[in-house]
Amino acid sequence: MKEINLRIKSISGTRQITKAMELVAVSKLSKARERIDRIRPFYTELYSALSDISAAVSPLDTGFCDKREIKKTCVIAIAGDRGLAGGYNNNLFKYVAASTEGKSVSVLPIGKRSLEHFERRGYEIISDDFVSVEDVDVGDCYEISRLLCRMYLDDEFDELKVIYTNFVSMLGQEPAELRLLPLDKELLSDGTEPAFTLVEPGTGAVFNSIIPDVVAGLVWGAVCESFASELAARRTAMESATSNADDIIDDLRLKYNKARKSSITQQITEIVSGAQAE
Amino acid sequence: MAEFNLKIVSPDGIFYDGTARQLSLRSIDGDVAVMAGHIPYLTAVGIGECRVYAEEGSEPRLAACCGGLLNVTKEGVFLAPTTFEWAEDIDRERAKAAKEKALSRIENPKSDAAKQLAEIKLRRAELRIAIAEKISGK
Repeated sequence: MKEINLRIKSISGTRQITKAMELVAVSKLSKARERIDRIRPFYTELYSALSDISAAVSPLDTGFCDKREIKKTCVIAIAGDRGLAGGYNNNLFKYVAASTEGKSVSVLPIGKRSLEHFERRGYEIISDDFVSVEDVDVGDCYEISRLLCRMYLDDEFDELKVIYTNFVSMLGQEPAELRLLPLDKELLSDGTEPAFTLVEPGTGAVFNSIIPDVVAGLVWGAVCESFASELAARRTAMESATSNADDIIDDLRLKYNKARKSSITQQITEIVSGAQAE
Repeated sequence: MAEFNLKIVSPDGIFYDGTARQLSLRSIDGDVAVMAGHIPYLTAVGIGECRVYAEEGSEPRLAACCGGLLNVTKEGVFLAPTTFEWAEDIDRERAKAAKEKALSRIENPKSDAAKQLAEIKLRRAELRIAIAEKISGK
């Protein structure tokens, strides 16, 4: 009986923790969703503008569009700072593993879990300045973008991808990837003859100035999506943990009451039989 | 006067989505103005004042606009700046603080790249102050 009581107490403790984490996730999530609502039009428009542009402008005298043999890929892997979010981090790592299988890869991790994961597996880490997803802001994304664009132009890698988690809904989050560099003309254009576009002062100058901004915008979008996904995943995981704890507590209470009842019955029987014997 | 569709979207949200008669801003190559029927056009945005002329005869709306791209297509005009602030939303105290910070960074630069960055920040801060003063002076 004492044992059951102890277990009830310990599980109630756990339940309090999971409940608190759920509430924290909910309150942060509403902010993160607001942020997504603000940023979504920006990067969807940006991406479609980029597609238009790369389709329309040719030939491109800038280093960002040339076809290279892909020897090395750089991946920006955005995961969470903490665990206890169901399969959120693991799904992303699995996706990264599947997407980069057999390739030579360097990683720029965002999120503490991401850094730990890739460090442990011996990946080449480009920078560990951006470990906390929660604290990454627009300015950091511009810094990341400047760094990576420079590295790309210096031929340190031939392809840049961002792997993040898409916030589909409160209940569904999917890992996804977006290829940022090089700009792939065939991928972007829909086969129609591109319309003439005047580019001033010149494609080279304009692209070299625009591309880092666009990359930064898209990375920032991916960060916002991922962060909201992490919170939603944590909320769901913690909700089910809390309800699980409730079930176990109910079960244990029942057992405890049964044990208590039978011990009382036994005591009464003993007293009665003792009284009869006199 | 003819109107065109204008959309201004920055990482901070949508600033303008509707019709306009004219859009003036500074590209990396100098000032440009876009009116309805403009040829498809692409340029990178510099650091400068942006004016949106929405209705016939009314004063243009002023804004500080830095970085990003301007894309003119047949469907409309798309402006995606890095930072965009309507003149009335500019926090002058913050801009002044940013200016001081940039100045001190330029005096004691940590590296060449840091100095360049600080110079850009200084130009942005000065632009914001200038634009905020423009509307308060009216």
